[in-house]
Amino acid sequence: MLSTASTLLLCVGGFFYLAGTVGLLRFPDVYCRLHALAKADNLGLGCILLALALQAPNLEAALKLLLIWPLVLAASAGVSYAIARRADVLGVKPWRGGKP
Amino acid sequence: MLRTIIVRCLLAIALWWILSEGRIDSWGIGAITVVSAVIISLRFLPASTVPVSLAGLVAFICLFVWNSVRGGIQVALAAFEGRTALRPGILEMRLKLPPGGGRILLVNTLGLMPGTLGVELDDDRLRLHVLDERLPIAEEAREIERAIGRVFKVTQ
Repeated sequence: MLSTASTLLLCVGGFFYLAGTVGLLRFPDVYCRLHALAKADNLGLGCILLALALQAPNLEAALKLLLIWPLVLAASAGVSYAIARRADVLGVKPWRGGKP
Repeated sequence: MLRTIIVRCLLAIALWWILSEGRIDSWGIGAITVVSAVIISLRFLPASTVPVSLAGLVAFICLFVWNSVRGGIQVALAAFEGRTALRPGILEMRLKLPPGGGRILLVNTLGLMPGTLGVELDDDRLRLHVLDERLPIAEEAREIERAIGRVFKVTQ
């Protein structure tokens, strides 16, 4: 039961990583690509860590795995903002679907 | 003051317990680390400056996790659909939160929430890049702002 849930979560996590990468490749500009990476990888990582925590040998190891999530989230959010802000300062205009 | 010290000591002890995976023989170094961590935290984040509401924090975390799931699904669908799913735009909002930790938390949180990405925070003006203008992004951003306000006990 537990290992089924864990496998399922691993697959879901992998799917969101794939979606994030597809978004990175297909989205038109730097801002949209940041959306894809930050959000899809955030959820993908959450699923994978939860899956691994279910398989952990004890409570401490499970909590240690879950602790990775907020740390990576903080880094990912900070980096996204830094890249978006820099692009804005450099005058990169958001893509508007061919409209002015 | 005493309450803050006790709370931070307990947090640091819990963190060490997790990091050392409960090994008994690590508590010598653990004790030194916990005491240093609490002293350093009191220097950089004095006790009086951050009144945090526990109920507000729990509510915020629930909202955050729920919105993370929504944001991930939304962006995954858009990624497979391609550019036609996008209607990007810039949204400007005036923040009601006071300067400091709350605002920084808001900008960072919005970067992980569905359809929003902080582009520039200038004083109390925040510019957001939104993935799809057709969605009610402004209201959702306000909801996050209110939730953070409750964590830091800001009356709005």
